Amino acid sequence: MSDGNNMIRIQGAGKRYPMGAGEVEVLRGISLDVKKGEFVSVMGQSGSGKTTLMNLIGMLDSPSEGTILIDGNDITLKPQKELVGLRRRTVGFVFQQFHLIPSLTAYENVALPLVFAGEKDNGAVDIALERVGLSHRKEHKPAELSGGEQQRVAIARAIVMKPKILLADEPTGALDGTTGSMIISLLRSLAGEMTVIMVTHNRELAMLSDRIVNLVDGNIAE
Amino acid sequence: MRLHSLVLKDISRRKIKLLVAVLGVAVASAALVAVVTTFSAATDSLYEESNNFGANIIVRPEVKTIPLLAGSTSMGSLLVGENYIEESEIPRIYTIMDSSKLSAVAPRLYGVAELGNASVVIMGVDPEEERKLKSWWKVRGDWISTEGAGQTEVMIGSDVATPMGLTEGSSITLRNGNISMDAQVTGVIESTGGNEDAYVILPLAASQHLLGREGKVSSLEVRALCNTCPVEEISMQIEEKFPGLEARSMSQIVRNELAIVEHIRSSAMAVSIITLLVSTLTVASTMLASVNEKLKEIGIMRAVGASDAQVVSMLLFEGAIIGAVGGIIGFVMGTIASSIAAPLLVQVTPLPMWSILLPVTGVCVLTGMLASILPAKRALGVDPAEVLRSV
Ligand SMILES: Nc1ncnc2c1ncn2[C@@H]1O[C@H](COP(=O)(O)OP(=O)(O)OP(=O)(O)O)[C@@H](O)[C@H]1O
Ligand SMILES: [Mg+2]
Repeated sequence: MSDGNNMIRIQGAGKRYPMGAGEVEVLRGISLDVKKGEFVSVMGQSGSGKTTLMNLIGMLDSPSEGTILIDGNDITLKPQKELVGLRRRTVGFVFQQFHLIPSLTAYENVALPLVFAGEKDNGAVDIALERVGLSHRKEHKPAELSGGEQQRVAIARAIVMKPKILLADEPTGALDGTTGSMIISLLRSLAGEMTVIMVTHNRELAMLSDRIVNLVDGNIAE
Repeated sequence: MRLHSLVLKDISRRKIKLLVAVLGVAVASAALVAVVTTFSAATDSLYEESNNFGANIIVRPEVKTIPLLAGSTSMGSLLVGENYIEESEIPRIYTIMDSSKLSAVAPRLYGVAELGNASVVIMGVDPEEERKLKSWWKVRGDWISTEGAGQTEVMIGSDVATPMGLTEGSSITLRNGNISMDAQVTGVIESTGGNEDAYVILPLAASQHLLGREGKVSSLEVRALCNTCPVEEISMQIEEKFPGLEARSMSQIVRNELAIVEHIRSSAMAVSIITLLVSTLTVASTMLASVNEKLKEIGIMRAVGASDAQVVSMLLFEGAIIGAVGGIIGFVMGTIASSIAAPLLVQVTPLPMWSILLPVTGVCVLTGMLASILPAKRALGVDPAEVLRSV
């Protein structure tokens, strides 16, 4: 089976957390392929393991079993130290609560990944801000921006390193309907250039993606 | 933007909260600076005093019945025995092993003579050598010169000059039995509070002639070149070379005083080091609180690519900045404190010790960094996925 087209290949991945004396199994034997440039929505009830799945793909967490290949690399075999570098170059995160650093301007927030990667700016920040339509807001601090604008800054931060994968966990969860659709169309326009995986509770918004993956009790029900 | 400018922005945002930590360091640094400044001023002034005492060693004929008044120059009035040192023997002192450490060897002859109707103590000296030892004397007029062809020159203490109405330029006549000597006063020594206030000082040869002690010397005052020279060692070497003479260290008293100051200094140092340790705790607890506050931000940073090493280096840098600012503020506080306290405690007015600014700040920087190790551990112990999930 050729996986040359797959950006993400998950095989039999499970995740268990220790809980009291025993364990709680959050994901069981999940297998999922996502193509390069594909836009996938992940849906499921609260607690079904959506965020856990995103964290596994984003290398913030590692599976208890199974393998995860990102762009052909088995990340479950890599030591923690290498993962930091791989994560910087491969994935960008967008969160429900934006998670911007309040003391930094929009521009500085977007520049953060470059700072940590030790890379020169070279206009990447301006390009990312322009991409989300916020060039005129770059000197503003998060508190001076609307929710939708903050989320767009967060998206600019996620794409400034030109990652292969954009992970958005309920990016519209804290926004009103109109603003939410605007964010989704932004993600839609980014798909193709990069693989986009979005968690959402909104079926209408999910319909805008290429494919919907349903998580039910830690299993995929496509 | 650099990693460190991120920290600086963060610090400037939370400056009020960090003030406690900065003050903690500042107090410790102030204590340290005050102690070091005050006590080094005190030891400096004692060393200076030990120089003012003149030579480090007094050499004189062994006279066991006369108590040795070390630390003062009262030997003259005590020396009533018949024992003298032969002047011709003196150069042999330069054959001791540590002769290179001898910076002055001043021979003296003491005696009593008549000046007008009064008796005065006269002291014959080698002006050149004597001047090396008494460089701190303030002489109105001139020092006597080594004897030449001209008239005998004398210097007189203020207790002789004032009642007799003598000043520089006055002519006097000294008498001892049927020997009489005309002399000119070249200088008056301003009161030192010491024995010399009552002396008439003249060249050695003149005094020997006046006292009828040709070729004799009462004592030698010997100065070693350095403050830390093994004076006892040198004394022993002199005694070995000159059987029948005894050599005693005059810096004994000063060194006792120094020992006391050193002792107080080490207790005070101990207190300031404890202060420093306590300040480490202050910084650590402040930083721990700030890390707890920032766990979410640290999680975000790790999610957008900060490595563990970068997180730690940011926290250490923050600690270092707190330490540096606290250290410098403390230096200023400590310097001011010692300029107020030192005159009261040790009767000296210290100058700011710029030379310790850097070391003290360095210690404070280390303290700040040390204090951030625990918070850094805490920051790394938290799973970023966990922090970001719990919104
Ligand atoms: N560190 C952990 N230890 C124990 N249980 C955990 C841990 N992290 C997550 N869980 C549990 O795993 C399950 C899945 O959590 P997850 O956050 O992935 O759900 P989700 O689908 O994202 O939910 P939501 O829609 O509310 O965001 C939940 O029941 C949660 O309590
Ligand atoms: Mg979730």
